[in-house]
Formats: sequence, C-alpha cells, structure tokens
Amino acid sequence: MARVEIKGVSKSYALNRRDQVLALKGVDLTIADGEFVALLGPSGCGKSTLLHLVAALEEASAGSILIDGAAPALLRDQHRLGIAFQEHALLPWLSVRANVALPFKIAGRAVDHARVGHLLELAGLEGFAEARPGQLSGGMRQRAAIARSLSLEPTLLLLDEPFGSLDAVTRRRMNLELQQIWLERTLTTLMVTHSVDEALFLADRVIVMSGRPGEIIETVAVPFPRPRRPDIMRSEHFHQLTDRLTLLLEH
Amino acid sequence: MAQLCILVAWQLVTRSGVAGLTVPTPASVIRVYLQPRFAALLYRSAMATVSSAAVGLAAGALLGSATALVAYLLPHLRPGLDRLAVTVNAIPAIVLGPIFILLVSRELTPALLAAIAVFFLIYVAVSSGLRTASAGLSAMLATFGAGRWQLLRYLDLPSAVPSFLSGLKVSVTAAMIGAIVGEWFGAPTGLGIVILNTMQNFEIPLMWAAVLLVASISLAGYGAVHLAERLVARRFS
Repeated sequence: MARVEIKGVSKSYALNRRDQVLALKGVDLTIADGEFVALLGPSGCGKSTLLHLVAALEEASAGSILIDGAAPALLRDQHRLGIAFQEHALLPWLSVRANVALPFKIAGRAVDHARVGHLLELAGLEGFAEARPGQLSGGMRQRAAIARSLSLEPTLLLLDEPFGSLDAVTRRRMNLELQQIWLERTLTTLMVTHSVDEALFLADRVIVMSGRPGEIIETVAVPFPRPRRPDIMRSEHFHQLTDRLTLLLEH
Repeated sequence: MAQLCILVAWQLVTRSGVAGLTVPTPASVIRVYLQPRFAALLYRSAMATVSSAAVGLAAGALLGSATALVAYLLPHLRPGLDRLAVTVNAIPAIVLGPIFILLVSRELTPALLAAIAVFFLIYVAVSSGLRTASAGLSAMLATFGAGRWQLLRYLDLPSAVPSFLSGLKVSVTAAMIGAIVGEWFGAPTGLGIVILNTMQNFEIPLMWAAVLLVASISLAGYGAVHLAERLVARRFS
C-alpha cells in the first residue's frame, strides 16, 4: 500500500504566449495507507488534473507530490500503479481477457492466468472473457477496465470518473461491485467523481474542490462502516452529508 | 444485372457500327480469350505484369512502412521524410521510366515504377495510421509503465493496421498502373507491351481483351484487399 503526500501543488497551462490558466492552486492533501479518498468537484475544477499529476501523466507547475516518499513516475515505472479512466480505454482489437492481461505484458512479466481469471470473475465477466470490448455493454467495459487496473496488484489505485458515462442505475450497481472488489484487498485509492452519492458511498474521506482555479475547500470524513449496504443511501445521516456536499459544490 | 445490360448495349451499339472501327463487339473480345494462341499470349503477359506489380507492391509497401516507422520513431526526421515522399510522388512515373531503363534494366523498370507509386501511398497511410490511436489509450498505457517500443507494439502498430489496409487497397491499382507504364518503355513482355503493340498494329479486339484483363486483375486485387480490410475493421471497432 502507498501513502500519497501532495504539498502546495499548483498547475497552470499556457493558453497562448501571454496568457495562462491556473487549473490547480496550492493543493495540500495526504492520503494514508489503505485510505479511499474521493475528489469531488464541479466539472473543470482540476480534479482530473490532480489525478493526472499523481499518475505522472503531467507535471506540477509548483509544489510536490510524493508517493511513499518518491516521485510518482517511479511508482509508474515499477508498474505499481492501477488506473481506470472515464473512457474505459480498452484496446478494441483484444479480447477482454487479453486486455486484463495487458499490464503483465507491459511490465514484462509472465501473465498470471489464475489472477486474470480471478479478476474477470470478480468483475462478473467470466462468461465474456473472449469477447471484444465492442461487444460488451458500457457497464461491462468499465468493469473490465477496473479489473485491468487491479491486475498487477497495484499499491495505488486511481479512478478517474470510472462510471461517469453510465446511467444512474448501472452506476449504483457498479459502486456496490467496486466496494466488493475493494474490500477484498484494501488499497490506497484516489477517485475523481462529480457524483456526491458515489463519493459518500465509497470513500473514507471526501475532498471538495472549488471551480477554477481548483482549490480544496472542504474535507468531509465519511462515518459509515464497511461493508456499506445500499440502504445507507436512504439514511438520515447520508442525506445530511449529501446536502452539505451538494451545497459546497454549488458554491 | 447492370453489367449484363451494359454488355448487351455495348454489343448492339458496336454491331450497328455507330462507334466506328476502334470499338470491338464484346463477342469478338470474348472470341480472343477463347483462341488458344491469344489466350496463351495473354496468360504469359499477364503473369509478367502481375509479377512485376506484385514485386513492386511488396517492395513499395515494405519500404513505405519502414520509412513511416522511422518517421514515427525519430520525430525530428519526420518533416524531411515527408518532403522526400512528396518529392518522389511529384515526379511523374512517365518521366522516371526512361531513367530507370537506362539506369537499371528493362526487366526491372515495371516493378520499380510500381514500387515508387506504392511507396508514397503506403508511407502516407501508415504514418497517419500510426497517429490514429486516441490520447486516452496512450495515457492508459503510459500509466501502466509502457515505454516507446511497447507503445508501438501494443497500441500504435495495431492502430495503423486499418489505415495500412486502405493504403494497400489503392496501392494494388497503383502498382498495376506502374507496372503497365513501366512496360511501355520496352520491357520484354507484359500486358503493357501487348496493349502497345496491338494499338500500333490495329488489332483492336486483342487490345481490348488485354485492357479488360488489366482492369479485371486490378479489380480482383482491390476486392481481395477490401475483403481483408472489412474483416479487420470488424475487429477494430
């Protein structure tokens, strides 16, 4: 498991020769070993940018990000990073099984067929292992992408709106399944979402970000014990937290 | 059905003599194919043309793909290679023919002209194909720790396959044109030679038989690659 320390991180993009846009401003965030943190914010608030910085896809303009005391690129190069994007990003010409096995090949390791089979089962895809992504529903594709993100037993899992493109019902079911997968082997997770329900249902801590420039405006600890059942979403406490977070988002 | 109508109309028009002497009736063209002497000549010539076109197609496809890969792996060479490809393509085959005849040989000129035409088409197709992969997929591979070669092997190369095949599809006809033009400069044999000689000797039905044979071969090659392309397209969507 990994501990993530984000200190004073800012990120700006050059629009043209003179103008810059500040996407993130002075973000401080520490994610403990085995903690599930949800980043909540309006679209365009830089939450995905922050996740990209942790994934070493981009570099911070200022501040530092350390994962277990080292630069994010090190974790990536050691193939210890798991990631799932909003767009499933499965290779269309490979079967679901081959897609889930891909990280092994990239890491130059022998494919652990037992693990791939187990992940497919966990994601409820055992009957579709030989299908290609184009033959699956949106929900199944996302499950395959999440299975793939776990194949190398990452120490840090990054989820970038993994269910953002799904309908509300499928999304809720996915949340339940993700919790199940996550409980099987707790690992440090950073999830970006704009769904208040999703954040509260899954995370230990919800970080609320403001619109551009992205700043952390609130941190809410989620008190519900795990495993969380869907009916907690109907509890008074859940509603109170939902209202509070929704209000913060409208800020 | 439409083809049959055209054939019947063609027969009627040419039989009536409206089209003059230079357009034969389809029946007389078919008779050419049935005469053993002509059939043997056409077969021999077609084999020569097809093998020139095939060699040119293979060489051009190989060279075009390799050059596109170099441009992909060494991005700073890319503008130069683009210019080279465009320049090669800008020189008409008809101008290169005499140069190759003198520089290389009569036998090899058809294949060379075919290869040059194919080289450009495949270079353009593959180098654009290597850039079709979405940014999302590259980001995914990068976060799993993929290096440049793995990005090529697992993402960009497979992504370029459909584009390569559509390039190959048009290359088949380009290779045939290149081979025929190359033959006109004095290759020892080939359908291009048959067309040239029959035109000069006013052997109209034989000339048409050769022309139709060239068209059929081009279309068959085009169709074969098109079929492969469709099969692949199904896998890639």
